Amino acid sequence: MAREVISSGNDLAAIAAVDAGCMFFGGYPITPSSEVMHTISDLLPKVGGVCIQMEDEIAGICAAIGASMSGVRAMTATSGPGMSLKAENLGLAQMAEVPLVVVDVMRGGPSTGLPTRVSQGDVSQAKNPSHGDYKSITLCAGNLDECYTEVIRAFNLADRFMQPVIVLLDETIGHMHAKAVLPDLEEVKAGIKPRKTFEGPAEEYRPYGVAQDEPAVLNPMFKGYRYHFTGLHHDAMGFPTEEIETCRKLIDRLFRKVDEHKDELESNEEFMLDDAEILIIGYGSASLAVKEAIIRLRDEGIKAGMFRPITLWPSPEERLYELGQKFDKVLSVELNQGQYLEEIQRAMGRKDIQKLTKTNGRPFSPQDIIDKVKEVF
Amino acid sequence: MSRIIMRFTGVGGQGVLLAGEIFAAAKIKMGGYGVKTATYTSQVRGGPTVVDIQLDDKEIWYPYAIDGQIGFMLSVADKSYQLFKKGVKEGGIIVIDPNLVYPTEEDRKKWKIVEIPIITIAKEEVGNVITQSVVALAIANTFTNAIPEDVLIETMLSKVPKKVHEANLKAYELGKKYALEALEKMKQEA
Repeated sequence: MAREVISSGNDLAAIAAVDAGCMFFGGYPITPSSEVMHTISDLLPKVGGVCIQMEDEIAGICAAIGASMSGVRAMTATSGPGMSLKAENLGLAQMAEVPLVVVDVMRGGPSTGLPTRVSQGDVSQAKNPSHGDYKSITLCAGNLDECYTEVIRAFNLADRFMQPVIVLLDETIGHMHAKAVLPDLEEVKAGIKPRKTFEGPAEEYRPYGVAQDEPAVLNPMFKGYRYHFTGLHHDAMGFPTEEIETCRKLIDRLFRKVDEHKDELESNEEFMLDDAEILIIGYGSASLAVKEAIIRLRDEGIKAGMFRPITLWPSPEERLYELGQKFDKVLSVELNQGQYLEEIQRAMGRKDIQKLTKTNGRPFSPQDIIDKVKEVF
Repeated sequence: MSRIIMRFTGVGGQGVLLAGEIFAAAKIKMGGYGVKTATYTSQVRGGPTVVDIQLDDKEIWYPYAIDGQIGFMLSVADKSYQLFKKGVKEGGIIVIDPNLVYPTEEDRKKWKIVEIPIITIAKEEVGNVITQSVVALAIANTFTNAIPEDVLIETMLSKVPKKVHEANLKAYELGKKYALEALEKMKQEA
């Protein structure tokens, strides 16, 4: 049976992690994400898990990577400044193929920015937090229910694709306090898909020797299956190599394991889109103002609808292209200077997308969106 | 029920957040929708804090109160009063602690300003300053009739430790008493 709870986005993210079987949290608290760590520090010991506050954000993600290598589900949570610090080790987890969930509750930036205020300024960063070539998987919660369901999904995707999965919340969603309807706990547990392990003889184990569209198969360390762990380019056993073809194939595989299975990743919401004449694209907390604006615009006879990507990276590029063909009037709404707009333009192959942006730490009001729609269309 | 929108303002550390949570939880308990959002600054203590509460029988998408639509505000700090008063609609009710908040003459013309010494009541009559958020809760509910009293008190008691139940019940009764007196006075003046 579905569960009705009264909670905040940050608390729900912590509850979801524990329900998904997370047994380790390594982190360093930072506004506006601190409640994720606060709540999980209470919950994890009750299920035999561990929460550790490290000396900084870098150590936090390193501890979580180590825990994940031992075979357990692990998480860290932070905000933009912490993402910047964690970037190097997000790259390590991409290269070595370590599953991990990273919750980023976005606040105003760059640098320390606006600690207590809302922003969606980490969207571009989430696509490529570290140097080098890899494919990020980034989910974005647009309401309280999704602070729970997207964290659950992130754990399953991390184990499926063997890489970090970023879940973006923002200050508004993280701190708002209201009713959430959560899926049945038994259903959540039944939906847990643990990572693959190699069961054959240890001498035949080749963790990185997998098909070109598949992730590495990393058995838990210290269980008799030996392999080498490194951020350097590596061979099938994980040992460093500069062999030309091995290096090419490694990065090619990091892309193809995601690109060739996008159907397992895409998730969108379409709100009042069927009869719409104006398409508004928004995500995260901005979509809440968009929904309210659409209802009010429709009261005035202006038919608007919303497309909301929930998986931001990889982007729903084919659906965006279709929508770009169908709608003449397109408005992108985001709490940054247009970070996702660039992706919408690329996917639609159009440059005439209208934009509404804000970067002063304040949320959009529905009126902001109504005014913009009336101004540009 | 049409949407009830309330705003509580104070400074960080005063505990104005709790009253908002109790209202939202009580409304949800009754099968409706309640949303609480808080805005605060990066100052740990002493920064202006505002809590917005929206209660409705229909689903609420946008979580913040919209300026100009707030019917009831309660304030226990002047700097947040001055910052956030503009959100209250004309003719709306603003309850202030007269020892801490100083409205202008124009303010008194624009809104119905009610003076109740919330902090003093909590500190001296209840004997525990922390109960100010429950005094505020009782005042807000008496003015707005947002939630049936028994549901609100039950929700409030579920959110505070057992050992302070009695003090908080007393705080609720006192808040209600002062609010009823203020309402009576408003009627007479009208």
